[in-house]
Amino acid sequence: MNIPEYLTSGILESYVLGAVSDEERREVECLSSIYPEIRQELDRLSAALEDYALSYSALPPIGLKEQIMAKLDFGTEAPPVETETPVVALPADSGPTYKITWIAAASLGLLVLIFSFFLLSQLRQAQRISATLRDSNETLQTEIQRQRDIRQRSEDLLAMLRQPEVRIIRLKGNDKAPTGEMMVYWHPHSRQVMVEIMNMPPLPANQQYQLWSLVNGQPVDAGVFDVTDAPQKMGRVIAQADAFAVTIEKRGGSPAPTLSSLVMMTPVTS
Amino acid sequence: MKKAQSFVPEDVLIEKLARRDQQAFHWLYDQYSGALYGVVLKIVRDEEQAKDLLQDIFIKIWKNLEGYDPQKGRLFTWLLNIARNSAIDALRSGRSGANATNSISIQPDAENVYIVDRQHNTTQPDPDWIGIREEVNKLRPERKQLIDMVYFEGYTHEEVANQLNIPLGTVKTRIRSALQELKQLFKL
Repeated sequence: MNIPEYLTSGILESYVLGAVSDEERREVECLSSIYPEIRQELDRLSAALEDYALSYSALPPIGLKEQIMAKLDFGTEAPPVETETPVVALPADSGPTYKITWIAAASLGLLVLIFSFFLLSQLRQAQRISATLRDSNETLQTEIQRQRDIRQRSEDLLAMLRQPEVRIIRLKGNDKAPTGEMMVYWHPHSRQVMVEIMNMPPLPANQQYQLWSLVNGQPVDAGVFDVTDAPQKMGRVIAQADAFAVTIEKRGGSPAPTLSSLVMMTPVTS
Repeated sequence: MKKAQSFVPEDVLIEKLARRDQQAFHWLYDQYSGALYGVVLKIVRDEEQAKDLLQDIFIKIWKNLEGYDPQKGRLFTWLLNIARNSAIDALRSGRSGANATNSISIQPDAENVYIVDRQHNTTQPDPDWIGIREEVNKLRPERKQLIDMVYFEGYTHEEVANQLNIPLGTVKTRIRSALQELKQLFKL
């Protein structure tokens, strides 16, 4: 196929002018679909002829467009055009409803959220109160236990004091504990000893007071005690005592009194 | 010198037309009715007949949109051919009894242009069309006559040869020369 020769043969020009036979027309259309050069030349010639036709342009009579449209069948595509109004109207109608639904849903969600926060704060408050109550309950339990303990000791002391033979010795602090004051209850028959602290300086945790009985000048260990509100029954028994003395010792007590830490000593009056 | 820039590009219009909605028709009519009406008027030379024909042509175009194949050629060319063929057919059937040769000889091309121009001046002329017309007037008269005979009157090569009294082979050559010159004129 000699393309340049075909391009200059004049058949393309005749084709665009519509002056070809049906056979020639099919030939041109077939070849132009195969050869881009032919197609391009056809387009150029068509465009030139379009411009030529355009030079005769005239404004059509006014109203002709409407007349034509009235006669036109917009076919299957017409219904969509007609229904376009309802379709447009539908969102417009459902718009507020849609909006209200959303507002209602959002409000409900907000309410649920607020209520949840309310419940949560209530729960936390209840937990706080519960914890406080538990604490105070524990405190009360401890206090009750303490009071029972004190009462028990007081009853022990009273039981001791009801016996006629009991000796009551008031010990006073020396220079090292000028405000010190305590009672020693001693029952020689049962050999039991109890102490009751009136006022004693508190001691560090690693130290305790230790009670001694002096028999013929010799100290005898009578047990250790802490500074408490309640009377305390001493762990040791005392058979004889000329005097009672208190020293500050290391926790647990010492076998022999540390004389330098003697805080009080009072003879047992007969 | 091209068609007005505000026109919708052909490929966009073709896509719109495939959907066959009313907007597509508006575009089609607004874009091409002037050109098609001008061609029809140029062929039948009667405003009333041209108006009826243009109506038929648009109906025909609308019904035969499937027949347009972008692979085969430009949309505007396809539209012009429908308008042109319809007008030529109407002219021929109306003149079936008359002597075609005679009617053409007494209607020289220069007069055709004059008639169309005068008709056009009664409405609002489009500056773009005037520009194009100035370009067309640069075309050599004998070549312009040849194009008009074939394109607007629907003459076959044989009819042209008989009318102008030239050999058939020469007709083809001259047609080619005329269109090549036209192509050069509108080449920007």
